[in-house]
Amino acid sequence: MSEEAVPIFEISDSLATRCGNTLTATFVPGSTKIALSVYRPIKWSSRDTPSDTAGEDPVVISIAQESTLYKEPLLRSLLSETNGTFVTLQTLVQEAKGTKKSAEYLQISRAYRSIIRFCLEKLDHGKKTPEVQEDEWRLEHCTKATKTFYAIECMWHLFEILYLQQQQTSQVIVHHLLEWVRFHYPNTEDQATDLLLMAEEASECDSYWLTLRRLIMLGQLEVPRAILLQNRKFNQAAFQAAEQVLKTMPVYQDGYALHKFNSQWEYWHVDLDRKLAAQTFAAEPQLELIMQLVAGSNKHWDAELVNSQDWYEFLPGYLLYTKPTCKPFELRIATTHWLNRWSVLRPEWQMKQLSRMVLQLMQHDIKLFIYDAQKLNDSHWFSTHLIDLIYHTGQFKSYFDQQNVDLAALRHSMVFEYGSFLMASRNHWQLAIDYLDFCSHEGAAAIELLLPRIPLRSERQAFKVLELAKQRGLVTVEQDICKVLSKRAHSDQRYGSALEWAIRSKDVLLVTSLADFILKNYSHTGVIFSPDVLRSIGPRMFISPRLVFLCKYFEFYELYRQRDFVSAAEPLINLLASKITPAYFWPSLLIDAMPLLNSEEPKLFINETLAILQHLEMELVPLIERNKLNTAKFDNQTSKTIFKDYRVENVEEFVELMRLSCARNMVRATIIENRGPPT
Amino acid sequence: MATKVAAHYISEKVSNVRWLPEQLQQTERFVTGSWDMDNNYVRLWRLHANPYAQEVQHTPRCNDKVAMDGDVTGLEFVNEDTLAVSCADGHLSLLKVHRAVEEDQLERMERSERLHEFKCSQKSAPCTAIDIYGNDIATVGEDGCVNVLSAHNLKQVKRTIDADSISLLSVCFVNQHQLVTGNRMGVIRMLDVRVDSTGQQDISFAAASQDPKNSNFVSAMATHPMQQHILICGSEEGSITVWDLRNFEYPASYLSAHNSPITDIGYHRQDPSKLFSAAEAGEVWMWSEKKQLIDMSKNDGNSAWLSGNRVRSLVNVDGVLTDIRNPVNSFDVHGSRLICGSDKEVIYIADDIF
Repeated sequence: MSEEAVPIFEISDSLATRCGNTLTATFVPGSTKIALSVYRPIKWSSRDTPSDTAGEDPVVISIAQESTLYKEPLLRSLLSETNGTFVTLQTLVQEAKGTKKSAEYLQISRAYRSIIRFCLEKLDHGKKTPEVQEDEWRLEHCTKATKTFYAIECMWHLFEILYLQQQQTSQVIVHHLLEWVRFHYPNTEDQATDLLLMAEEASECDSYWLTLRRLIMLGQLEVPRAILLQNRKFNQAAFQAAEQVLKTMPVYQDGYALHKFNSQWEYWHVDLDRKLAAQTFAAEPQLELIMQLVAGSNKHWDAELVNSQDWYEFLPGYLLYTKPTCKPFELRIATTHWLNRWSVLRPEWQMKQLSRMVLQLMQHDIKLFIYDAQKLNDSHWFSTHLIDLIYHTGQFKSYFDQQNVDLAALRHSMVFEYGSFLMASRNHWQLAIDYLDFCSHEGAAAIELLLPRIPLRSERQAFKVLELAKQRGLVTVEQDICKVLSKRAHSDQRYGSALEWAIRSKDVLLVTSLADFILKNYSHTGVIFSPDVLRSIGPRMFISPRLVFLCKYFEFYELYRQRDFVSAAEPLINLLASKITPAYFWPSLLIDAMPLLNSEEPKLFINETLAILQHLEMELVPLIERNKLNTAKFDNQTSKTIFKDYRVENVEEFVELMRLSCARNMVRATIIENRGPPT
Repeated sequence: MATKVAAHYISEKVSNVRWLPEQLQQTERFVTGSWDMDNNYVRLWRLHANPYAQEVQHTPRCNDKVAMDGDVTGLEFVNEDTLAVSCADGHLSLLKVHRAVEEDQLERMERSERLHEFKCSQKSAPCTAIDIYGNDIATVGEDGCVNVLSAHNLKQVKRTIDADSISLLSVCFVNQHQLVTGNRMGVIRMLDVRVDSTGQQDISFAAASQDPKNSNFVSAMATHPMQQHILICGSEEGSITVWDLRNFEYPASYLSAHNSPITDIGYHRQDPSKLFSAAEAGEVWMWSEKKQLIDMSKNDGNSAWLSGNRVRSLVNVDGVLTDIRNPVNSFDVHGSRLICGSDKEVIYIADDIF
């Protein structure tokens, strides 16, 4: 996390050396990324022309894979788990409009932290498995992730102590801070455990006194007491006195009257000072050193501090011995003093990012802290969730108002960016939706834009996306997706599937064009595509008149094919009279009437025959006439190309035949019908 | 007993989950299949007692995994240790489970030829569902084909039927020779595996729907383990249609249930009085027949499920999992333990569901 290391980029390409070997870079708008290009950047708006060097050298195309931390499977669960907590927080806020629920917010904060801790544990465990050990990329990634999330947990914990927890319990924070430090510096405690296990031999260990001092400085009293108890010289007066001092040290507990505690503590402190002055521990110089530390002697603390790892490591311990009732607002002053002291002791020491952010938290500099949090290499995971939590607790409202920061807008943009980021990284789209759902209009608009752009690889996935769109009432998205799938099926010659998707899309034009396609294909070839689909369309046909015509024609076609001509006559007449017959289909429809007219047994009555003749003269003949006019104008068209049916060569000839058939059938029908008893 | 639900995050979108069959004891092992990941796996898990927390009794640990070439779409056990897996690349695989004291193993035994493909583009079509009857495995795909294979020999397809011109989403054996398929329009077809495409009798019926002008796909089907003429179908609109396969004229019962597409439906393997249904919105419901209301002496093989409008009064509905806000793709029940997998990379294990 050091900022001093300037990243170096390089693209080596032989072709590029011809063009002066230049490397250009542009910032990608709206993100923290830089786009590098050899020679010059090519974007969607650049003109596509061959360059001067075209065809001279082989062109190397390298595609940069964007890598995020979350490629690592162990970290994926972090995303999905926090997503759950995020949604819980949002619903909690919605339910409890107006009422303050700091206990619940604390719960949420703890839930986030436990997710990070669990994830760290998994990473730690995962790093030891052979699968990760063999894969250098993953190992490096795991190490990086562990570092980042360890830091995040450390800061989040401190944030919780200073700004969320204190609402709950008393204002005294020292013991919480001790706990925090203890978790983040576990080494000393490990050594202490070793010492405890060694029992009497422990005092011969080289690091015996050092470990004891460290423990005391970390503010732990129980463990050093236990270790001292095992010392061979425990019976000596100095040890007994030390034990007495450590045992009687007043510890503040919640609900204790503050002034009473203060007087007790003062008394104890004065007593210790007196003992030190009286050389009670002089027999044991090391023990005396420890007691000096407990008394908060600056000289001795300074000597120890030179060896500490980070500036804040021993601050809580120091507070315990000098200012045990420190409150959050007093911490700021204490921190400043402490840091001044530290920088005098360690002038060469460089402040790292984590240390600086801890300082910002302790000094109540939330604005800078948030600014720095966004620089972490976690794709804004931490800043987004923390800002969201801060926003909902409403605790920093006045602070941010003072600082001229629009917290609502900040939270909004963070959540929006994070959601868009998730949407952009393949297969996180279901998580992304939840974030975008909770940033008002812009989120909804982003969902509407991004949902149809999810690459669909199977219908199962398509149905999931459709369901998400449906829940949000995004009708256009649903339609777009169905249309795309319809086109896809159509180009793959799955016409039934294409028609079904078109019906789902509720796009009348698309359905009509597909019905047209099926009808035209039938009149050209005599084959009806996907009869099973047409058979089961049912009431769904009413979306388009053309589809209604197709389905009704199909009903007729099936009866016709089964040679049930008497029942087939009725739907045919209905179709003729329906006024939804497309022009190009008139020949086919009338050709279908021909066998009925010409059959040995008469199938059609006078009125029906008349109707057929009427349609022939009123619909088909004018069509042919009009077409002839057009043909005269544009001689590349003939009547054949317009009126094409697989059963008829020449339309004019057919019209003549048809007239004859009608006349013949009319004669037959007249005779039969008039033969009956007069009514 | 109160149901305890534990969620475990496993970093994979779960498409299918199955308990390993175990005859006499509560099973401790299960398999999951993933989808929509960079690499998809079938994983074998084992439950370990959890020494830390009081509320969560078990934690699963992955013992072995086998990489698949596409989304896992179907997962079904042929026998105690053979697992049939269908994938979105149109292939069917058989995996073998080796049970051991410490680490169980999972191994791929066989892989079929490409079973499903789009005829025009010659691209593979996703296999969408599988079902098992004895040693026969039936697969259906987006190309509308049904394939029946024997678990003994995946290289040879016993029967291919061009059942439909739109994609099939579910399949279920009714008996040894007949199976039903459900398609994207909600049409259910009954097919005979002994005859080829041309010789099929056309037996089809459509799932009931609130709004007949909208498509309503059949996403899941199951038959009653004892009375195999009872067919339960879950559909896109979230309703359940029950058919008596002895009478295709009209559905026996129609229940509006969930508000989102039903993703999986099935009877409890040992106790057929209980039915489970899972839905896209993140719900798993348990439907149990009220025993005291059904007079066994008068009951001549008629099930509560076939009693039309009275089903609601004869069957109790309980939510096993509700309001988890993410799609439940698949579930399985063994004894009183339910497991289900979802898209937010979580598996839920519910203990003592009844």
